[in-house]
Amino acid sequence: MSGFWILVRKDLHAEFRKPEAVISMAFFGFLLLVILNLAIPMGAEISPETGAGILWVAITFSSVLGLARTMSREKENCCMDGLLLSPMSAESLFGAKMAVNFTLMLMAELSIIPLFFILYGDTFFHSLPMLVLVVFLANIGFAATGTLFSAITAGTNRNEALLPLLFYPVVIPLISITVKVTAMIFQGAGPVEYSSWLYVMTAYGLIFSGLGFLLLDQVIRE
Amino acid sequence: MTSSLREKICISLAGLLFMTAIYMVFVYAPTERVMGPIQKIFYFHLSCALVTFLSFFTAFVSAIVYLIKKDLKWDILGAASVEIGLVFTTLVLATGMLWGRPVWNAWWTWDPRLTTSLILWFIYGSYFILRSSVDRQEKRAVFCAVLAIVGFVDVPIVFLSARLWRTIHPVVIRAGSIDMAPAMITTLIVALIAFTCLWGLLLYQRTRTLTLAGRVRLLERQLDGEGI
Repeated sequence: MSGFWILVRKDLHAEFRKPEAVISMAFFGFLLLVILNLAIPMGAEISPETGAGILWVAITFSSVLGLARTMSREKENCCMDGLLLSPMSAESLFGAKMAVNFTLMLMAELSIIPLFFILYGDTFFHSLPMLVLVVFLANIGFAATGTLFSAITAGTNRNEALLPLLFYPVVIPLISITVKVTAMIFQGAGPVEYSSWLYVMTAYGLIFSGLGFLLLDQVIRE
Repeated sequence: MTSSLREKICISLAGLLFMTAIYMVFVYAPTERVMGPIQKIFYFHLSCALVTFLSFFTAFVSAIVYLIKKDLKWDILGAASVEIGLVFTTLVLATGMLWGRPVWNAWWTWDPRLTTSLILWFIYGSYFILRSSVDRQEKRAVFCAVLAIVGFVDVPIVFLSARLWRTIHPVVIRAGSIDMAPAMITTLIVALIAFTCLWGLLLYQRTRTLTLAGRVRLLERQLDGEGI
């Protein structure tokens, strides 16, 4: 497990020195929040469903920019060969990259979500505590799927451009559940009403982390 | 490699079975009282759905076998079945829309089964985009196998999440009972068998074509003097 922490520290260190991923994610997220405002009629009160949809489209679309970076970074200067030669297992490599992706998404969300409340009204503000839990569960699923697929796209000749095409069809169920639960939270529903969907989100995260742990070894050896 | 006598017999038998199925659908089976003749598309719709499932299940199994054995023939089998599955998913969606327009008065609704089929179409469509973006055969095989496994595991989650929308899709076959006249059930079974035979033939032919295409590529490379 020592390799895990070394790799996480290395990636986050590189990100703090030159925050290219987080900055582009947050910037694109802001941009999407503004662009998606076009879908709302002038002066109309936005419904909880629309609000939740806008928030998660902004988060998921911007997250792809960061997810693609974490693996393709290792392809430059043949860093991946070095990682494969090191005594580190593929499982801890997956764990480390997933943890990095989780952290990057969280940092981008820390700026996107407050801006969402500013732009779309603080009537949803009461939902913040439960929203944190939803964000946490959704990030696990996105990070797990994104890590596995960014390892695949880093090995193709279309590189990062391919990630959204592979990533979105598979995460659609997670996005739709997340939007639904967020809308229910915005409406002020009690946890009893949506707890079963939180279990599904947890299951998605576990299943895709498991697939990643099992399959990443095969992917990076090619 | 010309097609052998056995293949010719298989193809003609499947053709015969198909003619029988078409005859039974249009002549033997009674016309449904409420929906009228449009209901007849159901026999093809369900058969295509069965073929879709068979294809994606085959792709899932052959992906697992490939990752264990690393034999390229499993990759070819997987690619062939995803190809067929994608064609039949398109047919399922198309026949469903043709039926839905007069019966539901809408081409499309966000029903769980419709949504699931559409997302399936996207997942397996991206399989071919991935396939065309990797040049080396072994690498392509591993990447595609991983996508086939992930895609298949995703299907139940897709269906579960699509239940968030309310369903209007008719449930014809429930556990233990079928809401159909006996003649309709016989017709349906014949149609299902005919489509399964068609699926087997298509899969066999497509696998063989892809294998031959691979061999031609190899020979071309050898002629270019690159060696293997």
